[in-house]
Amino acid sequence: MIAPTPHQRLQFIEEGYVVVDDALVGDDLLRLQTAFDRCAAESRAEWLDGICKGTRPAGFFDIPSPFERDDAFIDLIDHPSWYGLLMDFTDNELILLAPQVRVLPPSPISYVGWHPDVPQTNPLHIKVQIYVDDVARDQGPFCYVPGSHKSDAGPYPRVRRLESMPGHRVFPGKAGTAILFNSYGWHTSMVNSTSRPRKSIILIYEKWTEGRVDADRYAGIADRLKTPARQRLFSLKPAGGGP
Amino acid sequence: MTTPPFVDAHVHVFARPSAEFPRLVNDGMPADRQATVEELLAQMQAHDVAQAVLVQTGGNALEHHAYLRRCLADHPDKFRGIGLIPADCADPERHMDTLAAKGDIIGFRLTDLGGPFDPLQPIDLRGSRTYPIWKRAAEKDYVLWLYPRAGDSPILAFLVDAFPQVRVVFNHLMVCVGDGTFTWDDQGRPQVAMTMPPITRYSTLRLNGYENVCVHLSGQYAFSRQAWPYADTAGWQQTLLRDFGAERLMWGSDFPWIVGDPGYGRTLAGIDASLPALCDEQRQGILGATARRFLRLPGATD
Repeated sequence: MIAPTPHQRLQFIEEGYVVVDDALVGDDLLRLQTAFDRCAAESRAEWLDGICKGTRPAGFFDIPSPFERDDAFIDLIDHPSWYGLLMDFTDNELILLAPQVRVLPPSPISYVGWHPDVPQTNPLHIKVQIYVDDVARDQGPFCYVPGSHKSDAGPYPRVRRLESMPGHRVFPGKAGTAILFNSYGWHTSMVNSTSRPRKSIILIYEKWTEGRVDADRYAGIADRLKTPARQRLFSLKPAGGGP
Repeated sequence: MTTPPFVDAHVHVFARPSAEFPRLVNDGMPADRQATVEELLAQMQAHDVAQAVLVQTGGNALEHHAYLRRCLADHPDKFRGIGLIPADCADPERHMDTLAAKGDIIGFRLTDLGGPFDPLQPIDLRGSRTYPIWKRAAEKDYVLWLYPRAGDSPILAFLVDAFPQVRVVFNHLMVCVGDGTFTWDDQGRPQVAMTMPPITRYSTLRLNGYENVCVHLSGQYAFSRQAWPYADTAGWQQTLLRDFGAERLMWGSDFPWIVGDPGYGRTLAGIDASLPALCDEQRQGILGATARRFLRLPGATD
């Protein structure tokens, strides 16, 4: 398991994020891109129908139940490029909450404003945003306010123009880039003003606590979670303990 | 401090269908139903509401606007009107100009923007069905009154972005209505089976960055699954207040649908119930000042 470098650990503590360049490359990346495109094509009609019915958002397209659709998404959860960092940051008590396999259409507006995901009272909450294709600066990249995850940070203004947030950093990146971030921090998705949809995957993790464990959440894919470590990660077994 | 009279920024009036006032008949507006301007004026007077925006209902052809035009002509200082445009109108610009010729119809309501649109396909804005309407609104300074379908939500930001000079008012809590969600209840009120906050917020809420966009705090009764004051809509109203500010929000009663339940006065009081932390200036904005300023109502000095 790859442990964070001192610089990565310090950056996560002080700034609330770590960028892993080339986290996915070669066949790993190609496999993910292929699975992504296939699953998106399979579920797109259902999404469009849901938009018309008012049951699905038009602002983004989340492929439903990705773990059921392709093992490529399961294999991301403990991918060596970031798994060791997540385990380190959570004192080896990591659980997965959910994946979001997301297509972000072009639009003059973002689908979301600046926000933290959870309050400081929540257990440590970490997301990993993985770019499936190259994401340009004007293609709806992830954006974060470094240091905003700290309990004494802020307050932050409710800006109407996303670019007006003081101190923010924009994260364009190549396909295969992974951005780990503390979800106490303020973040958003910038406007995708290009003609190309942004494709990314957002993995949502948390430091294990009793109340967040739901053994039924991933029971449907239990037969595909072979190792004890994965079974713990997917809440099929208690966190901690041996391998 | 004296509170200025209120403005009701979204009401409907209609007569029983007649040769003088033709209108369409539907489940919610049967031939024997009417909601006259006299009934509205009585409610307004009883609740210190000085002005209102009359929104056409009962048909979108020119002749269907007869009752609306009569009411506007009879009460030039109290009302301004919003007209409708037929979806298949061959010359929407002419239709709009005809209705707006006297200056008392200040804008047009759109419920069908020509979708559904696929967000992942390029939006052909100039080829979209309502583009000529938006263009005419920009040329003539007409207000556009939007109550879009959810399937139209992908094009909204493109249109607003293309026409920053067009004043836009999103009706009814900025909800975009899903197919098959609209019904009439047994009290003759519209009901919309959409959960709060609306899923269409991902296509609309960030329009707060456009100063030409306002939102109605109205129609709560139609979306709520609870009794007045419709607490299940309060969180979304507070979000709209946080992101748009009171200077971009307008109260509307949606008369006459609310006269029996919850009652005209309670639609007004519902603002305080849902937004209990309003300061005086915010409250005055939502209940009148925003509409007077944004819609340039007669006598507006705000």
